[in-house]
Amino acid sequence: MYPFDVKIPTDLAAARKAFEDADDGLFLAGGQTLIPVMKQRLAMPGTVIALERISDLAGIKAGGSEITIGAMTRHAAVAADPDIAKAIPALAKLAGGIGDPQVRNRGTIGGSLANNDPAADYPAAALGLGATIITDKREIAVDQFFKGMFETALDAGEIITAVRFPMPECAAYVKLQHPATRFAMVGVMVAKVGSTVRVAVTGAAPSVFRATEMEAALTLKFEPNALDGITIAADGLNNDIHASREYRAHLIGVLARRAAQEAIS
Amino acid sequence: MSKISEKNLIGESVRRREDFRFLTGRGRYIDDIKLDGMAHAAMLRSPHAHADITKIDASAASEIEGVLCVFTGAEWKAAGYGTIPTKSAVRKFKDGSDLKEPPHHAIAIDRVRHVGEIVAVVVAETRDIAKEALDAIEVYYAPLPAVTGLKQAAAEGAPQVWDLAPGNVCLDFGLGNEEAQKKAFAEADHIVTLDLVNNRVTAVPIEPRGAVAGYDAASENFTLWNSSQNIHANRDTIAEAALKIDKSKLHHLAPDVGGGFGAKNGVYPEPILICHAARLIGRPVKWINDRAESFLSDTHGRDQVSTVQLALDKDGQFRGLRTETLGNLGAYCGTVGPFTPTGGSSRTQGGPYKFDAIYYTAKAIFTNTAPLDPYRGAGRPEASYQIDRIIDYAADVLGFDADELRRKNLVPKAMLPMKTPMGLDVDCGDFPEVYKRTMAMTDRAGYAKRKADSEARGMKRGFGVCAYLECTGGGPKEHAVVNFRDDGKVGLAVGSHSTGMGHETAFSQLLAGHLWLAIDDVVFTQGDTDATPLGGGHGGSRGMEVGGSAVLQTSRAVVAKGKEIAAHLFETTSDKIEFEDGSFFEPGTNHTMTIRDVIDASNDPDKLPDGVQPGCLNIGTTFERGIISIPNGSHAAEVEVDPETGVVKATHYWVVDDFGTIINPLLADGQVMGGVAQGIGQALLEEIVYDETGQLLTGSLMDYAMPRADDIPPMHVGYFEDAPTAKNLLGVKGAGEAGCVGAPPAIVNAVCDALKGYGVKHIDMPLTPEKVWRAIRAAQA
Ligand SMILES: Cc1cc2nc3c(=O)[nH]c(=O)nc-3n(C[C@H](O)[C@H](O)[C@H](O)COP(=O)(O)OP(=O)(O)OC[C@H]3O[C@@H](n4cnc5c(N)ncnc54)[C@H](O)[C@@H]3O)c2cc1C
Repeated sequence: MYPFDVKIPTDLAAARKAFEDADDGLFLAGGQTLIPVMKQRLAMPGTVIALERISDLAGIKAGGSEITIGAMTRHAAVAADPDIAKAIPALAKLAGGIGDPQVRNRGTIGGSLANNDPAADYPAAALGLGATIITDKREIAVDQFFKGMFETALDAGEIITAVRFPMPECAAYVKLQHPATRFAMVGVMVAKVGSTVRVAVTGAAPSVFRATEMEAALTLKFEPNALDGITIAADGLNNDIHASREYRAHLIGVLARRAAQEAIS
Repeated sequence: MSKISEKNLIGESVRRREDFRFLTGRGRYIDDIKLDGMAHAAMLRSPHAHADITKIDASAASEIEGVLCVFTGAEWKAAGYGTIPTKSAVRKFKDGSDLKEPPHHAIAIDRVRHVGEIVAVVVAETRDIAKEALDAIEVYYAPLPAVTGLKQAAAEGAPQVWDLAPGNVCLDFGLGNEEAQKKAFAEADHIVTLDLVNNRVTAVPIEPRGAVAGYDAASENFTLWNSSQNIHANRDTIAEAALKIDKSKLHHLAPDVGGGFGAKNGVYPEPILICHAARLIGRPVKWINDRAESFLSDTHGRDQVSTVQLALDKDGQFRGLRTETLGNLGAYCGTVGPFTPTGGSSRTQGGPYKFDAIYYTAKAIFTNTAPLDPYRGAGRPEASYQIDRIIDYAADVLGFDADELRRKNLVPKAMLPMKTPMGLDVDCGDFPEVYKRTMAMTDRAGYAKRKADSEARGMKRGFGVCAYLECTGGGPKEHAVVNFRDDGKVGLAVGSHSTGMGHETAFSQLLAGHLWLAIDDVVFTQGDTDATPLGGGHGGSRGMEVGGSAVLQTSRAVVAKGKEIAAHLFETTSDKIEFEDGSFFEPGTNHTMTIRDVIDASNDPDKLPDGVQPGCLNIGTTFERGIISIPNGSHAAEVEVDPETGVVKATHYWVVDDFGTIINPLLADGQVMGGVAQGIGQALLEEIVYDETGQLLTGSLMDYAMPRADDIPPMHVGYFEDAPTAKNLLGVKGAGEAGCVGAPPAIVNAVCDALKGYGVKHIDMPLTPEKVWRAIRAAQA
């Protein structure tokens, strides 16, 4: 690890200022991505700005037809939250399936979305449920949020403060774990929100994406066999020693059917 | 001979004494060692698999504040250090010529031959500064063509790793009677051929390799703390071969070692390099590998490709076996390196089955990859995989029942003792009985229902078995010395070495049990070349067999000496004295004294016979094993396969092992379960992968898949204790490696059984989801 400064602001304004003052500032949430990459000397921030002490960034609020989750809310808290378990059980299950207990007790939803790891689980939840990303400056519809591998619509220094999820009619997330990392080799979130069906796929491509042909088929008939015959093109999918693009394409179909089945059962 | 009770503690599940220390973070691993003035070394490692080093410019690195010294191969060569030799027990080609041993310098001189090879060393005030300085060293490489795969390396026209080894062949080897094998094949009704890959794996010990070196200019002595499994033998090599000093000038220690599995058996460059650095700067130097460096530079294991042929009669009787293997050595001969694919993989060919003839032949091949050395089992898992995999394959393609084939061909008890066609001396055991007991545990009656349940969920269930036979190995001699201290404690030092297995408990248990002392009074020392005159370290499941026997032998010597003391005090002769329940007594008299009284007397000149010195109970003895032991057993596994995704889940596991006498069932269970977990890891998850250019694609735990607790099914472990061996004093046969000898074939057989309905005949390890999915698709196409 290279030497760096640490700032621990207690409000958003101070966090923003710390970022502006820093040469190479990076926000630290749960540190489950940032600390390892710093240890590997792949990230070398001059200043690390911890978000942990900023009040109001953590917590879960259920209201009306929406659930709002503060950016600093840990995966374990989402997994254990009774409101989420009731309104969006698929989201609780997804959070409970991230990494291991240590990771879930540290890692945060804001960190996961800001990081946009191609194999991360939360991006599938956000895109699949049609969430809204709330930052210190604006609200970003999720369809505009994920821009590519490890890339998002966030401006430099912009801080995610919360994520707002609509409560779906039904939803399910099914993931095939990567054997080494336990991230998603492929993960599929299928959700019906109002009359809209969304199918979000993570792990398979450089960034989370929507499987629109599947969405159309499920919109006509929300049943697993509605997906029969739909194949996902392998072109452009991730290809590595653990899963070829053909295998990933195949998995999307299998997991989407299983998610659709789970969503209606 | 007087009767001595050895019952106390033997066979008891004494809890591990060392665990409190380990589990509360109080172990003493290398990184816990902090010395005054200690500096820190970091290694610059080659990013190329094969390249000439045209120039190294370390001037900028040297100028970084806090950097104490930087050195490269040029300085190393000029200083005149020696190379690291291989100790391979097989050293001759079949034609009698010598094995091809390239010079293994601790640091690359002029050319690198694998990614991760050390090209420069930085020593600095802190580890961070040392690492930062690595980035400032400029190395100019002229890349050369590289070769990583076995078949590619052995092919005509392949890039040559070493000029001195044409065709990249380090060694060839043959064992068995080839003519008899050919005759058996000619006479047999069927010959079945199967190509097998034994995947390349690495140990991933929790504690990465590391060392601290100190140098005392006045005495010219080095002290080296090293996360090593074999400090006596490695001291000799490091001192005499590499540093070119007398071995008395190197005090070599390994405090607590956090896992080894063979990967810490050999001599590595880094400890040698930091000895040099410590002498150069006149300060102690520490080096600790990080995890990424461990993947690049720890020795890897397995990596063999074999063609196995089984000849059998139409009634299923095995006649002959032939195995032809290519074994990867990496870029250098490891400390044991060339032995593993040759001698090491040959001896247990054929397993516990009866054959007219077996022939094993192998070539050890250089490639541009990290060196390979023993990995838990070192050759026996390969042999076991070959025979037990081809049995199921033969059953499948010829229409036999695999269970029937095994029962028909297991060597019957009446044939023991015997010499196997590979020359192994099998003195005792009962393979059919062990197999029967395993099968009896497996709940075959409930299988049909479990299979139907799986089918109902769209899953495929399979059952697989392996009957294994293996053998111990490693250094034949071990020393155990006791020291009765005046504070009432008993020092026990043994040259065998625990890297977590629990010697501290087992050896203390043996000593305390034999002498009827409190186990808590035993103060255990291992891993110190000053504490025992010799030591065989850890390897080849030898700990209890050789080390435990040394402890028992020393305990017996203490009792014999104690009898002399008691006889003197009772004014009789020692042949009249008996030792039982912790007391020395003369039957028929009221003469009795406890072991404690005798220990006290042993330090009191007034109570000792003439010519016997105080401290006479402080005895060390060396036990030497004559013939290696033959652990054996049967494994059975049940798996469930998701045919749509290819995901395999091991659901049940059963083992019965014949390890001879079980000293501590708790520790034995730990060895079996850990070994099985490692075997399941190899079968389903683990693989070191290089691309064709020699880049390591599995350089971190994000790519190298280790088994986790939830990958391992509940295990039912039983022991067959009816056949203790007479080859050592305890009757033990070695428990350390058997788990990963039996598990890979049992698991792969179970998966292939599950997929039989699709026509899948074989899948190479690791059985990753994609491979399983592809195998199903290919079989159905
Ligand atoms: C062993 C292990 C296993 C894991 N397994 C999984 C898994 O199975 N599935 C999965 O999805 N993930 C997994 N993760 C990743 C984990 O979920 C991380 O928590 C997540 O990727 C990052 O969240 P964090 O809070 O730790 O963020 P950090 O590591 O602190 O930050 C990550 C990045 O996001 C930025 N950032 C953080 N918070 C904000 C914010 N509020 N606004 C703007 N930028 C921000 C940081 O500056 C940094 O660049 C695993 C991690 C580990 C170590």
